[in-house]
Amino acid sequence: MTTKESSGPVGTNVKRIDAQEKVTGEALFADDLQFGPGLLFGRIVRSPHPHALIKRIDTSKAEAYPGVKAVVTGDDTPKQIGLYLKDRHIFCRDRVRYVGDPVAGVIAISEEIAEEATRLVEVEYEVLEAVLDPRRGMEADAPLIHPDLADYVVPDFIFPKAGTNIPNHFKIRKGDVESAWAQCDAIVEHEFKVPHVQHVPIETHIAIAKVDQRGQITLWTSSQSPFAQRNLIAESLGLSQSQVRVISPYVGGGFGCKAGVTMEALAVVMAQKVPGHPVKLRLTREEEFFTTFVRQGLIAKTKIGATNDGKIVAMRTEYYWDAGAYTEYGVNITRATGYSSTGPYEIPNVQADSYCVYTNHPVGGAFRGFGMPEIHWGIEQIIDLLAEEIGMDKAEFRLKNCIREGSVIATGSKMHPVGLAECIEKAAAAIDWGKDDPPSALHKKRGKGMAIMWKAPAMPPNAGSSAWVRFNEDATVTVGIGGQEIGQGTFTVMAQMAAETLGVPMEWIRVQGPIDTRYSPYEWQTVASRLTWSMGNAVVAAAADARRQVLELVAEHWDEDIENLDIRNGEVISYQSEETLPLKNMVVYGLPKPEDQGWRGGPIIGHGNFMPSYVTGLDPETGQGPRSVVHYTTGCQAVDLEVDTITGQITILRLAAAFDVGKAINPDQVRAQMEGGAVQGASVALFEGLRLEGGKLMNHSFVDYRIATAVDMPFEIIPIIVEVPQDDGPWGARGIGEHSMVPTAPAIANAVANATGVRILDLPITAEKVYLLLENRLQAGS
Amino acid sequence: MSASTDIAKNPAVLAMPSPGLPKFDYVRARAPGEVSALLAEHGDRARLFMGGTDLFVQMRDGVIAPKIVIDLKTMPGMTDIAFDARSGLRIGAAASMNAIAAHPAVKDHYPLLVEAIETVAAYPLRTRATMGGNLCNGSPAADTAPAALVLEAQCVVMGSEGEWTIPANEFFLHVRKTAMRPGEFLTRIDIPIPPEGWAGRYVKLGRNAGGDLAIVGAAVMGYPDKSAGSGYRFRIALASVAPTPIRVPAAEVLLAAQPISEGLLDEAAQLAEAAAKPIDDLRGTARYRKAMVRNLTRRALDDVWQQLQKER
Repeated sequence: MTTKESSGPVGTNVKRIDAQEKVTGEALFADDLQFGPGLLFGRIVRSPHPHALIKRIDTSKAEAYPGVKAVVTGDDTPKQIGLYLKDRHIFCRDRVRYVGDPVAGVIAISEEIAEEATRLVEVEYEVLEAVLDPRRGMEADAPLIHPDLADYVVPDFIFPKAGTNIPNHFKIRKGDVESAWAQCDAIVEHEFKVPHVQHVPIETHIAIAKVDQRGQITLWTSSQSPFAQRNLIAESLGLSQSQVRVISPYVGGGFGCKAGVTMEALAVVMAQKVPGHPVKLRLTREEEFFTTFVRQGLIAKTKIGATNDGKIVAMRTEYYWDAGAYTEYGVNITRATGYSSTGPYEIPNVQADSYCVYTNHPVGGAFRGFGMPEIHWGIEQIIDLLAEEIGMDKAEFRLKNCIREGSVIATGSKMHPVGLAECIEKAAAAIDWGKDDPPSALHKKRGKGMAIMWKAPAMPPNAGSSAWVRFNEDATVTVGIGGQEIGQGTFTVMAQMAAETLGVPMEWIRVQGPIDTRYSPYEWQTVASRLTWSMGNAVVAAAADARRQVLELVAEHWDEDIENLDIRNGEVISYQSEETLPLKNMVVYGLPKPEDQGWRGGPIIGHGNFMPSYVTGLDPETGQGPRSVVHYTTGCQAVDLEVDTITGQITILRLAAAFDVGKAINPDQVRAQMEGGAVQGASVALFEGLRLEGGKLMNHSFVDYRIATAVDMPFEIIPIIVEVPQDDGPWGARGIGEHSMVPTAPAIANAVANATGVRILDLPITAEKVYLLLENRLQAGS
Repeated sequence: MSASTDIAKNPAVLAMPSPGLPKFDYVRARAPGEVSALLAEHGDRARLFMGGTDLFVQMRDGVIAPKIVIDLKTMPGMTDIAFDARSGLRIGAAASMNAIAAHPAVKDHYPLLVEAIETVAAYPLRTRATMGGNLCNGSPAADTAPAALVLEAQCVVMGSEGEWTIPANEFFLHVRKTAMRPGEFLTRIDIPIPPEGWAGRYVKLGRNAGGDLAIVGAAVMGYPDKSAGSGYRFRIALASVAPTPIRVPAAEVLLAAQPISEGLLDEAAQLAEAAAKPIDDLRGTARYRKAMVRNLTRRALDDVWQQLQKER
């Protein structure tokens, strides 16, 4: 659509336009905003039980507590809310479904008083049996967590099963798996487990809501989804979208946890009780660990078979997603992982059942990669095991089976042009694949491993973007977008695209927050690694629209053919007459007609939008359809590491990351995503995981939930950019934000197995697990 | 009736750390007598404050709820660090870990202490954290405790009856319980000049490299001694594997009695493992901890033994 040669800032390492204000501390985040003396504070009364009925709530003591302004409960939230499946009340009404479920909200003149008063709210519960394992949740006699599931509002691509704990079951039936096993010379079957993990953004969730006397709501929040929040909160409260305004400044880390609606709606409902007063609700770090979204837990059962010459013939997979109490995103993660369940391989016979299962655990949500890191944990290990079984080199095995242009993928769709094979070859070469490098000490063992991946933006088929481009008098340009800067660098990339399309210097472009649903153009959400591609297309369209208006004006002014005109470096030039005209002033004031006969033109404002039009539905029984997704980004990570046999500790020496991004609009930012993804991927691989006991989180602080720090990452990261253009991406670009952490954990597990012979099937790969497995093997051998 | 008294009565409340600290009175102590008087007056409702890196966390978590917090670090001498070639090192109880680790005499004469300090949390936190607090907190995981044990530090304690000294070896009684009596507080840690030709090592294992609490910590120091059967004496101390930081006398006796060999070092490490009585917790299982006591003690013994041989 817009693929073309670049002569300006696109494809260059432009410095981040938000760098200086962030480094100096000038950048504003939601908690920096000042609200004056009328500001009130909210705190939340939360369920101490994983599953219980609410028999009685008495708020009178809390209401009488000095400094308390109001207390809200489920009585104030009649309608349900949810991004796909509307399955939760903003405050619980009759039932609590996880430890931490919000039961009441206290509004007071200080955070401390609000907190003290939460402890005066009396709640009488009737404790119910809890579901703490997704497979238990699927049993016929399991307690029902959502008895009214059949009545919930749901879009047509999600399939809840009435009378069960299953809000979605996605199926793939391609070829004939059962009869295909007979053609296989080698078959491998395993079960893999992934724990819940937390995003741990440095900025915890925060929302400030205010309701004016007419009922107009303003919500200031750290958000990846200002427009989705406006829409969902308005719907749930029975309001028009125009009555809700969401303002979102910079986001201090998102990773998916600030997508959709989490605690923001709590602040809105509380603010409705105290019109005129802004109400601030901010989560403590401990609350952040389990009262907002977490990455879902997963049990994956996979069977896969190949012929002796290394061709994968059949694959059967069952995913049991531990979705938690509600499924803001879980139902769609279930779907996306179902249709991506083969990993990036062409396999003729595929059967997949991806079950989303309600449990009485924290609520599952989006997390960088949207289910893909979880499923690749099993996929990329079982591929290694199968290659071992038939005695083939693991890189060669992957090259033999990986998707290429024209491959028929699990949904029956044809694969678009893709550089995955190139990624495998380049990542392998970067760590000297196939060469046995010696360990650094006698008690260490060295090994290499790789994993490949694919991921498509998982979203409704019609998720849209829009943008406007507006000139100022001096020909600087303000670009309006609704996508959020969450640290990924999107403002810079949008500025590059606008500058390139308009033909003005990069320094003339202004892209600034906050995103404000009253003034910013619509954007579905800042998720799914979709902004560079989707919002980029909208910005390019808006800039092209503005450029056309300028050229039409000047063509008329000069009486020249518009085809001969161009904008270069902020001036209109004619290739015919070689005349030039600066953009300054004329982009606002227009140009005078000859002989003082008036003026033509006017303030230039361009607009553009983008929405994919070609994504089709999938058959509910077979998961087959002509085009299931917009595109897949693919890539490979290869790891060279050492294991200390005295402690089981893992030291990653080198990690090569090669991803096909279509086109790197800003190569340094692409490389930074590859580095950041590798670090977060390694952290999840080696250290992270919620420790849930009886539904209660045991490690809700950084003391016991460890994440990687700089000293844990002494390794060399080798980022490699591969560019096979996307037909409908701006300059051919595809997303990279999430993909960069998808293959890290299995790549490390494969390298550990290569080094030691010990294979870990349940994340994380802790030193203790590695050591004890080594010790078990030693004891069995002796 | 305050809200906090109602918390205990309301089992339907999810116990969570508060967003802020509960209210308390803050007193900046000027003299030991004043501290003793305040402790006598307020008893359990008073807490002493030096670095505050454990104190305020426990207050926020609701583990303790003191009504009065007495700041000791501004009292004369409490942050002093002094070295004398005959009497050794005197560390004010409220001296920050970073000040200790950066002190030239500590770097020259007590590298083991520097090594131990540098495993505690992170540099910014060590600007506040104190070695005195680390010991007084009574945590079995205190990283400076094994170093204090093998260096045979003396804890100088002030009470209403004046100053007295508790050897580090007798200082730790149980989890969060020290030999200091009610009304007493630590003023100084005295570390004697270690024996001629000594070498030391602290090996700590955390879940990740940066700033974790110890799964296991093992300190070893050794020095030549002609009166020993082996010609050497060793001291071994462990963190995080028993209700208190511990010494391992059985291994120390063994290493003094027989000529040092690879086999003897193995045997000493096994005695350390036998002495450890760890528990399962979020950081690691008892089984892993036992194995790590053996392996890390062995690694530290090996390092110290190699240093001792180099210096011969």
